[in-house]
Amino acid sequence: MLPLTRRAICASLLTALMATAQAAGLDEGEARRFLAQASFGPTEASTQALMASGKAAWLQEQFAQPASDFVGIVAVDVNAKIGCPEGAPPGCKRDNYSLFPLQVQFFRNALGGPDQLRQRTALALSQILVVSGQQIRLPYAMANYERIFLGHAFGNFRDILREVTLSPAMGRFLNMANNDKPNPAKGIAPNENYARELLQLFSIGLWQLNPDGSQQLDARGLPLPSYDQEVVEGFAHVFTGWSYPPRPGGRDRFPNPPNFSGPMLAYAAHHDLGAKQLLLGLTLPAGQGAAADLEAALDNVFKHPNVGPFIGRQLIQQLVTANPSPAYVARVAAAFNGSSGALGGSARGDMKATLSAILLDPEASAPPQPQNFGKLREPILQLTYLFRALGGESDGVWLRGQAAALGQPIYSPPSVFNFFPPDYDLPDDPSLDGPAFGVFNASATFRLSGMFATALNGKGVPPDDKVAGSTGSKIDLTRWQALAADPAALVKEIRRVLFAGRMSSSLEQALLKAAQLAPASKPLERARAALFLAVMSPEYLVEH
Amino acid sequence: MSDYTANRRQFLARAAALSAAGPFALGSGLAAPLQGSDYRALVCVFLYGGNDGNNMLVPMDVAGYAAYAKARGNAAAGGLALQASSLAPLDGLTLGLHGALAPLAELWNQGHLALQANVGTLLRPLSKAQFANGGSGVPGNLFSHSDQQAQWQQGGSGLQGSSGWGGRIADLQPASTVPAVISVSGNNVFMNGASSQGLAVSAGGNFAIKGFGANPARNPLYGLYTSLLQQPYANAEQRAAAAVLNQALRASEALNGALASAGSVAGLFSGQGSAIAQQLLTVAKLLEVRASLGVTRQIFFVSLGGFDTHNNQLAQQENLFGQLGPALRAFYDATQQLGLAKQVTTFTASDFARTLQPASGGGSDHAWGNHQLIMGGAVRRGLYGRMPELLLGGPDDVSDEGRWLPSTAVDQMSATLASWLGVGAADLPLLFPQLGNFATPTLGYFA
Repeated sequence: MLPLTRRAICASLLTALMATAQAAGLDEGEARRFLAQASFGPTEASTQALMASGKAAWLQEQFAQPASDFVGIVAVDVNAKIGCPEGAPPGCKRDNYSLFPLQVQFFRNALGGPDQLRQRTALALSQILVVSGQQIRLPYAMANYERIFLGHAFGNFRDILREVTLSPAMGRFLNMANNDKPNPAKGIAPNENYARELLQLFSIGLWQLNPDGSQQLDARGLPLPSYDQEVVEGFAHVFTGWSYPPRPGGRDRFPNPPNFSGPMLAYAAHHDLGAKQLLLGLTLPAGQGAAADLEAALDNVFKHPNVGPFIGRQLIQQLVTANPSPAYVARVAAAFNGSSGALGGSARGDMKATLSAILLDPEASAPPQPQNFGKLREPILQLTYLFRALGGESDGVWLRGQAAALGQPIYSPPSVFNFFPPDYDLPDDPSLDGPAFGVFNASATFRLSGMFATALNGKGVPPDDKVAGSTGSKIDLTRWQALAADPAALVKEIRRVLFAGRMSSSLEQALLKAAQLAPASKPLERARAALFLAVMSPEYLVEH
Repeated sequence: MSDYTANRRQFLARAAALSAAGPFALGSGLAAPLQGSDYRALVCVFLYGGNDGNNMLVPMDVAGYAAYAKARGNAAAGGLALQASSLAPLDGLTLGLHGALAPLAELWNQGHLALQANVGTLLRPLSKAQFANGGSGVPGNLFSHSDQQAQWQQGGSGLQGSSGWGGRIADLQPASTVPAVISVSGNNVFMNGASSQGLAVSAGGNFAIKGFGANPARNPLYGLYTSLLQQPYANAEQRAAAAVLNQALRASEALNGALASAGSVAGLFSGQGSAIAQQLLTVAKLLEVRASLGVTRQIFFVSLGGFDTHNNQLAQQENLFGQLGPALRAFYDATQQLGLAKQVTTFTASDFARTLQPASGGGSDHAWGNHQLIMGGAVRRGLYGRMPELLLGGPDDVSDEGRWLPSTAVDQMSATLASWLGVGAADLPLLFPQLGNFATPTLGYFA
């Protein structure tokens, strides 16, 4: 907890900042940088709208936007031979037994949906509380899971914890579904998988944290663990006795077969009734039953002082910067803890308050240490930023494939540890974090260059004739071509649109030269060369 | 892609606090370059998720199998015991390999495989009583995937800082255009040293930048780009991005043509579409073109994920071993065809073992000491270390579920491999600062 006075200062600072923004409007560069953090990248329209409204009003408008949904994805039998029998249309398996349709729609929604902040937040949460389509391959199951984040992006983190815990997709992914009470006769113990990762990854992390996210140390200077094996086993016993909801017309008994159409249900006879050792010295009394145990255990997790800094820092990393200052983390954690009340409610876990604190923080727009600020854009955001900034259009099909090739197949990371960990070390400087560097390496940079070269070829990618209604992907370079007669004007426009108005003189000089490698009679070649060099530059790849 | 990308920095605070535990300060310079002038390579096969060694290496004597089967439980009733008849026997041992690893049992019988029993992360030899008392002698965050992967890959249970031991060996060698450590499965801790960064290449596909035409070196736009990458970047993330791009472009110039010309061993992997087979095929191709890369000692990293078998373990592990066994065997055969069988040593590593006691759902949970494979023509066949007593709550169990207290340290295993690659005895403690805590710093895997 921050001292009251500091909290009061934080709150008043926030209020002052918001008032300034609203009164003065925003310059275009700041608007574009804010939209890189709070949306899938600025468009001309969203930049203008934000400049007119100011950040606070923009956030309020975004909070009111309903979620873009996944459409046309229906529940199917877990058995593909039943869901796609002989003679089923081509694409039946791809559309019902792989995440393909969900991944494609993700990109469509990200490029065009009005609920930009809701979707960005949902993407961030989906990379913290991970279920992977590598194991959960049914798109309807994963759509229901991702709807938790879309639905609660502006709700409360406690509700997210409950819905995630009872999600049948998570139940299958981390084996809480059909986790039985101990069976001494057979020598079988409760499954520890969900218990451990809930603590390690979804809520409090391995170490006891200070409110600013730094580790608490013991007298010898060693970090203090947040829990031990006994606590993991306590939670593993809590999470016994839950199964999938019964299938329509099917029998209802533990263990039910997989069914992802609703939250998991409790089966009293399979819940362990012993006392359970949890966090912070809490022991759940014996005999409470499955639902009461679960709510008490989630309260125990949710009230742990680590949650604000642990989740808050990761949300900052997802949205704003890989290396937030401890003070920034502390301000966001305070908002999470319910002491800020800037925008949104003042309940612990309020997501509006947390997101407002992240996005309106002075550090997000005017970092005191610019040399450590920003982040390498993760592959998904490289794609959406480019297409939104340049007014590209896409049915999502090509973008889906590119994201996968670049190491970030949306909703389908290699494991519960996501595509990359939040504390992945920056190459050459392990004192700093560079999460997206976890999938950035020689091979990935070559694929990235291929993606940019294709996206900026001026012709686009044709429709995929195996996908109904496919329209392809295209960034129209006509207006860039028109600018190419005047290389200085071309570079100036690149600076405005792709660099939020900021560019080093060495990059500017390089782009001017690139724009003149081809003769003026070949304006498309000129535009392509300058744009391609621009997007391959470290200044572009790293948001700062 | 790595399943769980471990973190290099995680133990810095711990290391700083415990630096007195090791004889050498953090960041000490390494002394001598690698010994020997012949070509040698190590290949690390990381089994992400925590491979269940209890079902990889199984007692076949009557009493041993009975103890195993009792603790693991009948498969038909949610247990994990393999049928004795399904195991692949090993000449001269009363242990068998998982049946899906039968191609490797053949290598054992030919003398090209060693088995390391019950090896795990340790800072110093530890008794059950010392473990129960806790404190600084116990490695941090046992049972956590990310931490235990990091400790395996770093050596010294992370106390020496943020680098991996593969990368630290590369630090010993003169800088080369193509880094001495090459990962064919994405980024990891193992490949980055204190001063060197490993190279990640992908299995298949060409290894060259796009968008600058077929011959970038002749494209003036490429010239502008490479100059741009040489600019000083004040911003740390931009600087790091430029470094990765620079390394990629340099390595591409040396590797792309060479890789395209390799492939004489591809036939040995035919019919194997698994990712691990494709990765090992890429390593074999790199071995084939080794002469053009300018390094005589190389370290490769490949991986196979999916070993976090909390449920449905019998089917999942059989499937994974069904990929691993033939892939490793094809790779050994490839080294033989290339005339390199005695110059390439391949070893497995994994987060941790799994509980001997089954968990609800037909799986098992995170444990500690585990068994590993060491394969190659230079290897001296044998069972190294001591098998744990397969008894829940028994003398080797630090819990009641069958989590083995390691009787051999990861550092001893790693130091033995590093030593074979040419790291001098005097430098081993610099690579593995806790090595001096063990009576036998290296083991006898090699003749």
